[in-house]
Amino acid sequence: MMDGIWLGITTALSGYNIFMVAIGAFAGTFIGMLPGLGPISAIALMIPITYGMDPSSALILIAGVYYGAIFGGSTSSILINAPGVAGTVATSFDGYPMARQGHAGKALAIAAYSSFSGGTIAAIFLLVAAPVLAKVSLSFQSSDYFALMVLGLTAVAAFAGKGKFLKAAIMTLFGLMLATVGTDADSGVSRYTFGDMNLIDGISFLLLAMASFALSEALINIIENKKITKEEKAALKKEIGSLKLTRAEVKTIIPVIGRSSVLGFFVGVLPGAGATIASFLAYGMERSIASTKEKLKFGKGSLRGLAAPESANNAACSGSFVPLLTLGIPGSGTTAVILGALISYGIQPGPTLYSDHPALFWSVIISMYIGNIILLVLNLPLIPYIAKLLETPRQILLPLVIFFSLIGVYLVTFNTFDIYMMVLFSVVAVFLRIVDYPMAPMILGFILGGMMENNLRRALTISDGSLSFLWERTMTASILAITIVMLVWPLISQLFFAKIAASEDK
Amino acid sequence: MVKSRIGATFFLIFSAFYFYKSFDIHLLKGTYYETMTAQTFPYYLGILGILVSVLILIFSFIKIDKDDFMDMKKLRTYDFKKGLYLVLAMIFYGYTIRSLGFVISTIIFLIFGFRILEEKNWKIILLTSFGVSIVFWLLLTQLLGIYVENGVIFEYFLGVQS
Repeated sequence: MMDGIWLGITTALSGYNIFMVAIGAFAGTFIGMLPGLGPISAIALMIPITYGMDPSSALILIAGVYYGAIFGGSTSSILINAPGVAGTVATSFDGYPMARQGHAGKALAIAAYSSFSGGTIAAIFLLVAAPVLAKVSLSFQSSDYFALMVLGLTAVAAFAGKGKFLKAAIMTLFGLMLATVGTDADSGVSRYTFGDMNLIDGISFLLLAMASFALSEALINIIENKKITKEEKAALKKEIGSLKLTRAEVKTIIPVIGRSSVLGFFVGVLPGAGATIASFLAYGMERSIASTKEKLKFGKGSLRGLAAPESANNAACSGSFVPLLTLGIPGSGTTAVILGALISYGIQPGPTLYSDHPALFWSVIISMYIGNIILLVLNLPLIPYIAKLLETPRQILLPLVIFFSLIGVYLVTFNTFDIYMMVLFSVVAVFLRIVDYPMAPMILGFILGGMMENNLRRALTISDGSLSFLWERTMTASILAITIVMLVWPLISQLFFAKIAASEDK
Repeated sequence: MVKSRIGATFFLIFSAFYFYKSFDIHLLKGTYYETMTAQTFPYYLGILGILVSVLILIFSFIKIDKDDFMDMKKLRTYDFKKGLYLVLAMIFYGYTIRSLGFVISTIIFLIFGFRILEEKNWKIILLTSFGVSIVFWLLLTQLLGIYVENGVIFEYFLGVQS
């Protein structure tokens, strides 16, 4: 293991890779800062750039973008109360009031220190947890993988929020259905191509991610006609104040960071739960354990209320890499896009990644730590200048985002059909966003679709066509049991609460 | 209007079509008796899709959340016209990228985009659209060595083959 870590350190610390993580963190911060554009869009926009790179450098760049986007989201949450990322909504609860009180600099510094510490603690956990889980997962068979994928997809729906379970479930199914378009990998038969040669290779994941996130987010921004308000403009022009923290303030936030980072990491590891849930849970936990006097400060600029979600969301980002790197199963929309990128570089994440590509496995983990340092030393002092970019008129910025999305996909295949397909998918995505159907489960379903079908086929072949593989192995059966509980519980509770509500109405 | 109901109707139609089309998947001879053919996964996905969309529809009649009602006031403020124009501009971009070439089609697309979003300063419009297209083209062709079409105009006037 020490050899692997050393290999990772030397790979991640090469000048080129440090440059990559710095570029990624910087670009991610900028994109994440733009309200409406989240980490998935940021990553999707960067993928075409990574195609000519060595997979380690590409993944390091993407990890930098991921962190940067979360950090950028915090910046716009604090400065203008407009979270660019769902994971930083909880940051605005106390960050924005602090900025309004003239302590924007302090709030940004706390956000940066908390993110750094959260990311660092989680990176250490990842260093320990990932190899252990990778070794365990070497004993996994197709049936276990199939069960794990079902669990992952169900968990995404289960964590989608109150009343959104079925919506997330249908979006996952939509993604799975789209994944079947093209030539069947096993038999070579074409499916849902309608005789069109352009569909023979199926729908590219980059196309779908770009259309359903970057492009549709830009279109929604245009349709909603959101403009930076005068108040927001004034907030951006204000001096951010000192970035320094007093000793007492540091003492207050240290235990908060510790607690929230651990919580964030474990929430991030869970399939389906991600930075958003982690940040809200950490905020809620901190509020519930605070003294009555402290509790009153929450929502009005509490340091604890700011440090908790910031540490948790960054720790969750690192945590979400555990199932991705060790099992090859993404737990969130963002890691699903990263998985798609990895597959397109010709790398199949999973237990063998640890043994087959140790440089990549370890360098990504190490570069997460470097990414955190870069965010702290490079981005924090630059924040006042990066924030100025938020003033760029949207009428200039949005057509550019659309251009980069279209050209990013076109340059991979040089097929104009892809541009038309992107337009179609982005229109459908805008419609689905307006009627409140979540996009992340779709991309997760799409990316897992092919793998899920292959593993099911393999498991069925091994068991000679019998469905007994579902319960014969303890591992498969236990994973499926957890899935069933997750699947049934929201349905029962939805039905139960609907009945109660109906009887109350009477 | 109930949002989940509108979405569920869309998915019901889509899943039904998907299920129906799963029978069109041509199976190779000899694979008919296999446990899992190319048709199996889509067949069950179609059924599940229909089932879940019907469930959403049923729940949407049992109990409607306040958030589930379409906010018509907000909807009226939406500028669908601008969205539509941009969609048309994207289609036009796809249509012209090969014939006019990367640089010219990108300049036209960006000018359209900025104008659709009501940017009035022509200096900014022209500087940004020309600047981005040319810098990006130079980056692709000179630095990254990626081939992009020159377009018919270059071919015609300069005799450069694209």
